[in-house]
Amino acid sequence: MPDEEELIEEGVVSPVQPEVQDPLLRQLLQDAPAAADTPEPQPAKLPEPTDVVDCVVIGTGAGGAPLLARLALAGLRVVALEAGPRHEPRRDFATDEQAQAFLFWNDERLSAGKHPLSFGNNNSGTGVGGSTLHYTAYTPRVQPDDLRLRTEFGRGQDWPLSYDDLAPYYDELEWLLGVSGPSPYPWGPERQRGYPLPPLPLNGAAQLMQRACEKLGIRTSPAANAALSARYYQEGIGWREACTNRGFCQAGCSNGAKASMDVTFIPLAEAHGAEVRADCFVTEIERDAQGRVTGVVYQQHGQEQRQRCRTLFLCAGAVETPRLLLLNELALSSGHVGRNLMAHPGLQLWGTFDELVRPNKGIPGGLISEDTHRPRDADFAGGYLLQSIGVMPVTFASQVARGRGLWGPQLREYMSQYNHVAGINILGDCLPHADNYLELSDEKDARGLPKPRIYFTNQENELRMNAHAERVMRRIWDAAGARDVWAFPRSAHVIGTCRMGLSGDDAVVDADGRCFDVPNLYICDNSVFPSALSVNPALTIMALSLRTADRFLEKQRRRDL
Amino acid sequence: MKYPPGTVRALLDTPHVSDVTRAALQARLDAPAYEPQFFDADSYRLLGAVCQRLLPQTERGAEAIDLPAGIDRRLFSGQADGWRYDVLPPDREAYRLGLGGVQQTAQAQFQQDFLLLSAAQQDQVLAAVQAGTAPGDLWLKVDARRFFEELLAEATILYYSHPLAQEEIGYVGMADLPAWTRIGLDEREEREPQEVK
Repeated sequence: MPDEEELIEEGVVSPVQPEVQDPLLRQLLQDAPAAADTPEPQPAKLPEPTDVVDCVVIGTGAGGAPLLARLALAGLRVVALEAGPRHEPRRDFATDEQAQAFLFWNDERLSAGKHPLSFGNNNSGTGVGGSTLHYTAYTPRVQPDDLRLRTEFGRGQDWPLSYDDLAPYYDELEWLLGVSGPSPYPWGPERQRGYPLPPLPLNGAAQLMQRACEKLGIRTSPAANAALSARYYQEGIGWREACTNRGFCQAGCSNGAKASMDVTFIPLAEAHGAEVRADCFVTEIERDAQGRVTGVVYQQHGQEQRQRCRTLFLCAGAVETPRLLLLNELALSSGHVGRNLMAHPGLQLWGTFDELVRPNKGIPGGLISEDTHRPRDADFAGGYLLQSIGVMPVTFASQVARGRGLWGPQLREYMSQYNHVAGINILGDCLPHADNYLELSDEKDARGLPKPRIYFTNQENELRMNAHAERVMRRIWDAAGARDVWAFPRSAHVIGTCRMGLSGDDAVVDADGRCFDVPNLYICDNSVFPSALSVNPALTIMALSLRTADRFLEKQRRRDL
Repeated sequence: MKYPPGTVRALLDTPHVSDVTRAALQARLDAPAYEPQFFDADSYRLLGAVCQRLLPQTERGAEAIDLPAGIDRRLFSGQADGWRYDVLPPDREAYRLGLGGVQQTAQAQFQQDFLLLSAAQQDQVLAAVQAGTAPGDLWLKVDARRFFEELLAEATILYYSHPLAQEEIGYVGMADLPAWTRIGLDEREEREPQEVK
């Protein structure tokens, strides 16, 4: 072991770059004398492309890709900058969790607070398609009251738009993505038409939950999932193949059945002239004397590049979007950038069954219930939905280690029942709280940029909701015949660090996604949500994305720039 | 043994496994003996002894899944998994401090090097670390419970990513071509192994 003094000397260093971290190497580098006749290296001069495009979009996930396609279809010159690479899923995506770790945003984030959030494979993504590359493809719509939490409960926030503003976009998306789901859908307002495809088949976990809920009088339904239950064709996209029940949605779909952005809106955008540049990490947002955005500076393959634009769409997600604004000291006048950070309560309940479940097969979230949307006996604001869950083995094992703390023979013994394990989880609303926020830390990453530090502590409302949900789920799993039941406390998606609102006093963007501070800067991703919602966010992010594009195009027509 | 041995290995040679999946799994099966690059020899032996308690696999002998190798390789390359508990120092430092803490706790509890303790004593040391009650002033610098959680999670992920561990739990999800058609309760696809009763 290194002795203690050496440890103290080493201090806090970044784990990302070994050549910086290793004390010996660091010393060698510092001691190396500069060659006498070599001039000091000058920073490479930025190329000054006079080329000004109409729009630059940062990020190609659920927030960036739909609006990219919309703007391209309107005839604008648009360029998307994606931090990660472009993948060839058929060739490159393994049915192996560790081999697929490249899908996640693996730059380190610091998790603070009483209930530190996990990132990486939990809720982040990189690559053309962003986090949709590994989303589970749950696509429930919000219910109208999700958008009026303050009106209903006197807590949380109302959205500056209504369900009716989103409904046409939900409809459009469900048909473009090819959502498989029940028609009619049992909860929420009546719809103008059903889902384009019938639901995906129920796997073991879904059947167990269905059986138990029937006994208990809880309504269930096959869930709406953006994965194809049959071959599907869309103009501008082409044919996509049906789901093979591979169960690896969260590690990347290898046959295009799952409606990630790389097989839907990205090809649609490119077919209409959009340019998608992969491996482009944006560091600077440049402005003129009036404070309007003039372009962005980014790193691509170790080279610094600049792209000028008339309008910028920032769609980098609820961590990287506020991080970029904070790094650039941009759009900060409201004081709300990085604040109002919320995380969906995502408590999971696991049990062991006599039946063979083989939880790796089938769409993981096969069955849903929204009967807990506004429970009659609730002692909290908002509500949650229930989903059955299948699980990949390594994800499950790591949760057993972290959540149950099992090790030694007990861990191997418990894991040997993997084929008999099934779960249920919730996805619930979360209220903003002053203690939950994102800031820039003093610790630098490999790019020399401050790592984000994220504070999260479940408050009274989340704790009560989780307790309620655990009681309900235990009843269900008891009725299903589960033994050895245990709960895995978990927070899912990060939401709300650049929220939208009616006024620049307490919000970063308006209802159209336009920054109050900067007229030609738009934000569209989960950071703009004023409240967390009691449903999975992807479909609503996409709906906002299309709406943001339409509102922008309307302003263009009216010359309100 | 709930499942017969060799199930994953047999499937790897079939068209049920895609090329890229096969490559990932075969590389783990064929991994050559590993020499540590990050840890010094003493720390590496200590890490090995700790992993042997977290996931004991004495029955495998020389075929044991090499967990310390995976940890050393990651720390040497400087890779992260996207987040870190803010209460912990950077991974390399956390591992150095945490392993030092394990040694301190062994000395405090049994006045012996961790490597010389009986398996039951080693387990007592690790249980104290997991519970956050372990003696040793290094634990003032690294949160014992979070360090243990991170170490256990990393060892567990490495273990169950290995084809031999997947055979042990009857998992053959890697053999997903052309599709799974029998996905309901008590439905077994022909290529899925049956439990040994």
